[in-house]
Amino acid sequence: MDTSFARSRRRDLIVAFCLAAIAAVVPLFVKDVYVQNIMVLTLMWGALSQSWNILSGYCGQISLGHAMYFGIGAYTTALLFTKFGVLPWFGMLGGGIISAVLAMALGYPCFRLRGHYFVIATIVIAEIVLLLFHNWDWAGAAMGIDIPVRGDSWLKFQFTRSKLPYFYFALALACVAWFVTWWLEDSKWGYWWRAVKDNPDAAESLGVVVFNSKMGAAAVSAFLVAVGGSFYGQFVSYIDPESVMGFQFSLLMALPAVLGGIGTLWGPLLGAVILIPLTELTRSFIGGSGRGVDLIVYGGLIIAISLARPQGLVGLFSPRRKEAAR
Amino acid sequence: MPVTAETIIQSLASGLLMGLLYGLIAVGLALIFGLMDVVNFAHGEFLMIAMYATFFLFVFFAIDPLLAAPLVAAALFVFGAVVYLLIVRFAVRAKANAGMVQIFSTFGLAIVMRGLAQYFFTPDYRSVTHSWLGGKTVSVAGIFLPVPQLVGALVAIAAFGALYLFINRTDFGRALEATREDAGAVALVGIDKNKVFALGWGLGAALVGLSGAVMAIFFYIYPDVGASFALIAYVTVALGGFGSVFGAFAGGIIVGLVEATTALLLPPSLKAVGIYAVYLLVVFIRPRGLFGSM
Amino acid sequence: MNITRRNVLLGATAAAALGPVAARAQTSEIVIGVIYPFSGASAQMGVDAQKSFETALDIINKNHDFDLPLAKGEGLPGLGGAKIRLVFADHQADPQKGRAETERLITQEKVCAVIGTYQSSVAVTVSQICERYQIPFISADNSSPSLHKRGLKFYFRAAPHDEMFSAAMFNFFDAMKKKGAKIDTLSLFHEDTIFGTDSANAQLKLAADRGYKVISDIKYRSNSPSLSAEVQQLKTANADVLMPSSYTTDGILLVKTMAELGYKPNAIVAQNAGFSEKALYDAVGDNLEGVISRGSFSLDLAAKRPMVGKINAMFKEKSGKDFNDLTSRQFMGLLVMAEAINRAKSTDGEKIRDALVATDIPGEQTIMPWKRVKFDEMGQNNDADPVLLQYIGGKFVTIFPPQAAIAEAVWPMK
Repeated sequence: MDTSFARSRRRDLIVAFCLAAIAAVVPLFVKDVYVQNIMVLTLMWGALSQSWNILSGYCGQISLGHAMYFGIGAYTTALLFTKFGVLPWFGMLGGGIISAVLAMALGYPCFRLRGHYFVIATIVIAEIVLLLFHNWDWAGAAMGIDIPVRGDSWLKFQFTRSKLPYFYFALALACVAWFVTWWLEDSKWGYWWRAVKDNPDAAESLGVVVFNSKMGAAAVSAFLVAVGGSFYGQFVSYIDPESVMGFQFSLLMALPAVLGGIGTLWGPLLGAVILIPLTELTRSFIGGSGRGVDLIVYGGLIIAISLARPQGLVGLFSPRRKEAAR
Repeated sequence: MPVTAETIIQSLASGLLMGLLYGLIAVGLALIFGLMDVVNFAHGEFLMIAMYATFFLFVFFAIDPLLAAPLVAAALFVFGAVVYLLIVRFAVRAKANAGMVQIFSTFGLAIVMRGLAQYFFTPDYRSVTHSWLGGKTVSVAGIFLPVPQLVGALVAIAAFGALYLFINRTDFGRALEATREDAGAVALVGIDKNKVFALGWGLGAALVGLSGAVMAIFFYIYPDVGASFALIAYVTVALGGFGSVFGAFAGGIIVGLVEATTALLLPPSLKAVGIYAVYLLVVFIRPRGLFGSM
Repeated sequence: MNITRRNVLLGATAAAALGPVAARAQTSEIVIGVIYPFSGASAQMGVDAQKSFETALDIINKNHDFDLPLAKGEGLPGLGGAKIRLVFADHQADPQKGRAETERLITQEKVCAVIGTYQSSVAVTVSQICERYQIPFISADNSSPSLHKRGLKFYFRAAPHDEMFSAAMFNFFDAMKKKGAKIDTLSLFHEDTIFGTDSANAQLKLAADRGYKVISDIKYRSNSPSLSAEVQQLKTANADVLMPSSYTTDGILLVKTMAELGYKPNAIVAQNAGFSEKALYDAVGDNLEGVISRGSFSLDLAAKRPMVGKINAMFKEKSGKDFNDLTSRQFMGLLVMAEAINRAKSTDGEKIRDALVATDIPGEQTIMPWKRVKFDEMGQNNDADPVLLQYIGGKFVTIFPPQAAIAEAVWPMK
């Protein structure tokens, strides 16, 4: 059993490498900025969902408050840059570290909560932070922060028209998030998490170590999401509380994983590849009517997929993986 | 800002009335959860539908919202049961990730309902312009009590009372209780689990219908109106303890009072922070809410 | 250029589902992008805006006998009678989506100009993208004062911003005080998004400059389920004037809650938004007799300028509503843009921009009570004089400034 597991992991790695390589050359052929924009968003949401999946899928701690880390990443970067001239790369790191520490500080009391009590706690904490930012004048409050873009620069990580740098950053982030997940699956943390999921009694005996490993998962997850938020702020070059910390971002992080397959290695990316282009295209081509048809299509699809394939769409591609996901 | 005794009493009175309404909005959620461990993420949209139903009964048939309340409750009863039979039944049957599936299928439903409301009712803002109670207010020693909220509070108390009797004194209520205790065993005694669940969803939705009819008297109506209330309803239920009907009642009152008090102490734009902080405080001390049993 | 052509091809493939895209390259058609919220909480604003733009489009593309730019004759004479086509895009009030849709409009739909956006936060990103692609942007109905101060070359706003609107209110207060009205204290009541915050900042500054005392400054969460606590505080403060900056939803709840808590302010002077929406007056009009709102449009102008009434009738036929502060500004936005494109005799962004800089439309050739349309070096039209309107007997009458007024203000409101 071990050998087949090892073999499938090696195959995952090879597939991932091939996919990344293919993805990397796509923008050389697809030059339309609108399509490139969708690709950037798809990769970014894939990466975010993958990060979310570490805590919520593998550890089973369903968070609907990850928008908070996303926003903290965006705000740390933008504030450091606009107020103190600190380059976004350092802001990205700073935002990641702040989020990771915060995730552990909040994980300590929250991981004792179960089920919906935990979910609602995550929503509520994110809402509190959103409201605080909304009222924090120094950070721009509701006015947000307009990040001045003065020409193309890798140093400042801003580009006026080209989407390619953003694309490759998002691709790198998606690869990192995927690789961290891949690595965790076979680590002792991954092993404990599976054990706990399969057998609640094992949770008792592993109590303390599992608790600590969950704190670790929360930190890793929050760090990656904050980096994504920091990227998003640079990409859009304007942030305000609603547009980086709103509840809808927490949902958007969860949805790809849920549709693709929660707690699976490939689920979040697969979900993002389907969901993000769908939302963008429905808005662009049927959203202009003002009649909500895009919402009906989008919501209907979520119902249909979650009912028809509760284990996620990933099962369609490889029946074996369904077993592994358990 | 001068804080006078009058301000404090007025704020608490308004908070209490609003709190009872929050309780009424939330109790359907608590009931459904207690029955089958499902959180309906389209709860706010149920409220929205109820408000539109009240509005259209008013516009087309000149039925006052107060008279419309039972009709709306009945309509929502059917709607709730249908939602259970068409969607939720399959969500709880899912073999993998049942928790996730029920969250996201009801969440998808919420989006569809908003889209449909926008499609059929347009995104325009509606109001019930004239009603028996609308705009009326009674003043007691300088404290103003708006009649719609006052009646809403009475409806809430009555509904909670009736619900209590219903669960404890009727056969169906006992079937609900039994199904919630042990669905498997219930099947053995010949109670159709699906029927009980469908009726439970109907009942939960009917209660939202009732609150929607009352809300329509003094609140604006548009496709996204549910969003303003959904999070408060979840927090109310969780604060009181999932599954506890009495918890929803108590949770509502607490949320209303905390909201009013916070607005006195902090800038009003932060008043929701008080509600959220109290929720966290309670669950950190009592992880199952105030009256949660499971 | 090379890149552009490839974009066209790829854009066309990507948008194949769209249908008749092939015709877009022809010069007989000028494409302008219009970007608004068409879904979500403010979808109604987009729907109304669409009707307003279609009214303006009708006037430009067909022959009408109005003294407006481009009304006579069909299409744009400067471009051989070319007709304008509008492409509507939905930004869902999200700055990121606004930016993505603007890029799509520019690169795929080949628009030569963009108009938008209702939400100020979206205007920030839309105008940034237009700047990057050197496509002129007219901010038709955004009133945030910070927008034109960002050093953008392609940003234009023909309508007033909140500092101008608020200044008009304080001019009005000064005038009323001279006539003996007691106006010393003010209560601000504003929502917590960019609109309310900006408006309150402008009002706080003006109050300090002109010696009015702000005795309560209440910032509330937009779309709150209850405003009882907020209204209670306003009631306790009981200032001489209540100055709300609220969207429709909160405006309705505010007025209802005020009635319920027995708060009747001496006067209400509102920063339009919700207070110029029909839905608000349908809901709570009875309680609003005598409310004053700022605006940039007044139907009273129809008495002096009959075409205003006729154009309003055209709009009403499409939308079922009279022009209000927002829809009138949207109408003017398209007209000003089309007039510039006509003079530029080109769809090139730079040339249209130069034409916009040279714009000088006299007030009489607009539907607004403005002096004229002429942009300063930041792209702001400082001659767009706002008016104050009072809601009396179920309709709005202009009460300020004196040259536009048709009635004396009723003060206090009841």
